[in-house]
Amino acid sequence: MRTDANIPDADGFYAAIIAANEGLSEGESEAFLLRFALLLANQIGDQQVLLDAIRTAREMVVPREAGRNT
Amino acid sequence: MPPTMSREGLRPPEVTGSGYALPVFPYRRPAELAGERRRHKVAVVGGGLAGLTAACDLAGRGIPVVLLDEDDTVGVRGASSRGIVYAQKTLEIFDRLGIYQRIVEKGVTWSVGKVLADDDVLYRFDASQGSLSKAPPFINLQQFYVEWYLVDRLAELPSAELRWRNRVTGITQREDHVALAVETPDGSYTLEAEWVIDASGLASLIRGALGAKMAAEQGEDRWCISDVRFKTSLPAERWTWAKAAFNDGRAVWQHPMADGVWRLDYQMGPNADPKTIADPETVRDRLRRHLGETEIEIVWVGPYDYRTQLMDHFRLGRVFFAGDVAHVMNPFGARGGNSGVQDAENIAWKLAAVVTGAAPEALLDSYDEERRAAGAHNIHVTTRTIRFLAPRSPFEHRFRDAVLDLARRHDFGRALVNTGRLSVAFDYAGSSLTSNSGSAVPNVPVTLPDGSAGALSDLLRGEGAIFLVLCYAGAEPPALPERLARSFACNAAIGGLPVLRGPALDRLGGAGEVLVIRPDQHLAARLERPAAATVQAAIDKALGKERAR
Repeated sequence: MRTDANIPDADGFYAAIIAANEGLSEGESEAFLLRFALLLANQIGDQQVLLDAIRTAREMVVPREAGRNT
Repeated sequence: MPPTMSREGLRPPEVTGSGYALPVFPYRRPAELAGERRRHKVAVVGGGLAGLTAACDLAGRGIPVVLLDEDDTVGVRGASSRGIVYAQKTLEIFDRLGIYQRIVEKGVTWSVGKVLADDDVLYRFDASQGSLSKAPPFINLQQFYVEWYLVDRLAELPSAELRWRNRVTGITQREDHVALAVETPDGSYTLEAEWVIDASGLASLIRGALGAKMAAEQGEDRWCISDVRFKTSLPAERWTWAKAAFNDGRAVWQHPMADGVWRLDYQMGPNADPKTIADPETVRDRLRRHLGETEIEIVWVGPYDYRTQLMDHFRLGRVFFAGDVAHVMNPFGARGGNSGVQDAENIAWKLAAVVTGAAPEALLDSYDEERRAAGAHNIHVTTRTIRFLAPRSPFEHRFRDAVLDLARRHDFGRALVNTGRLSVAFDYAGSSLTSNSGSAVPNVPVTLPDGSAGALSDLLRGEGAIFLVLCYAGAEPPALPERLARSFACNAAIGGLPVLRGPALDRLGGAGEVLVIRPDQHLAARLERPAAATVQAAIDKALGKERAR
């Protein structure tokens, strides 16, 4: 999985995500993100990269119960 | 062969509103009770799919076998039709055993499936695409018919003996045999056998008596089967709804089988009460919501849950465990019955090879190696299916909704929709018996050397455990003992080898190749222009001679 900068227009990408979620409820934004994630997963099409990304994202989210799973 | 009434059966099965009328097979007083002392070669305990297949396969190989069943009929008395989907590999086995034609004639052949969410067809598949086998991808048939055909076939085989109403109540393992305590209407006796195949199902007494270890897990998911007949005409296809508005947003299965009966299987709420969901009025109401106003005849209703169970070892001493006794999984993928038949085939040829002296006893350990791996794999696959069908958290529900939503619009989403990954033959590539491949060889149609039409499975019938060696142009003809292997040239003249012809043969192998095929029609090795000794070595390995060293 690459973690160096690879998005051609980072600011434009960020703005596009924000714009797409304007006016959406939290639930609707989650629905958006789930679909977005699945579309991207199919673009990547590399099992190892996908599993690395899942692990990396999960490691960044600490469950509220202090220290559980960490 | 036309469908005939069982020689031993008393009446043909009729579909009734309260189930099926099943055949009754005669109890006969066992020779042991007349004071005769016998040492049987192989005893099979349990006359279900796995047990009957094992007995049929062994007897077909000329091995004396006695089968004990506590009941005197097929199916579960007064109850379900159980499994319905027979997958290609299983059909190929049944072809070799001689009951395939009856299954084709009685069952519903199908290859098209549709996966739906509410009113949308998410995708359609046709499993016949790319299939090389003489057998179709699937035939649906009530399980008791298949068992009945196996019983009929066994009655034709001189080395098989069926003992109905013989209930095993105890087991003792000895140095050179197993002693089974057996109860009959005429009293109890001890049956001695050199080898025992326990195929007595989920609640095996033998497994408990031997203290065998297994891992078990009970699921919370509940389903209710309704086997019904109705006037509405529906296509002979497998339809699965990941969720259906007519079943409160839960999953539904719709599948045809013989006698115009349809299996409709409805997912219920978690931990739903079996009595409530099978209440006759509730069932009729559910059927009306699904089928609309139509005349419906209910053949059988069965609420069920399922568990996951896997024995730590499929062999304990002289006892081998096959079918549900060894592994239990949810039914989504039709992997239970099909894998039981494939267990039976696996142990049958190995026992035949050992009993006839062609292989060392070490070969028998590979039954556990190969079939436990298959069982674990099937549990892994079906457990993933159920996680899709029965999400465990609000997040899992929303994630699945996203998948279904994408699947409506885009191809890639369809691959993520999992309403069951249908049974396929296990690949023994990792087995100690195989060299570089262990995949099942499709039962391709061929023109046999005598000019008649046949298929590869026709060449694997006979006494003992026979290997098939297919040679392609450019390969040297191997010189192998006749009792061990039959060698053929494929679409070419090679030395004096008999020639098989057929376009599908060229899809299995290419110039210079030699395929060494095991008695269960799995590859033992794929060799490139091998020396004769290399072919012999591949067969020796497949007979467990390396394990024995």
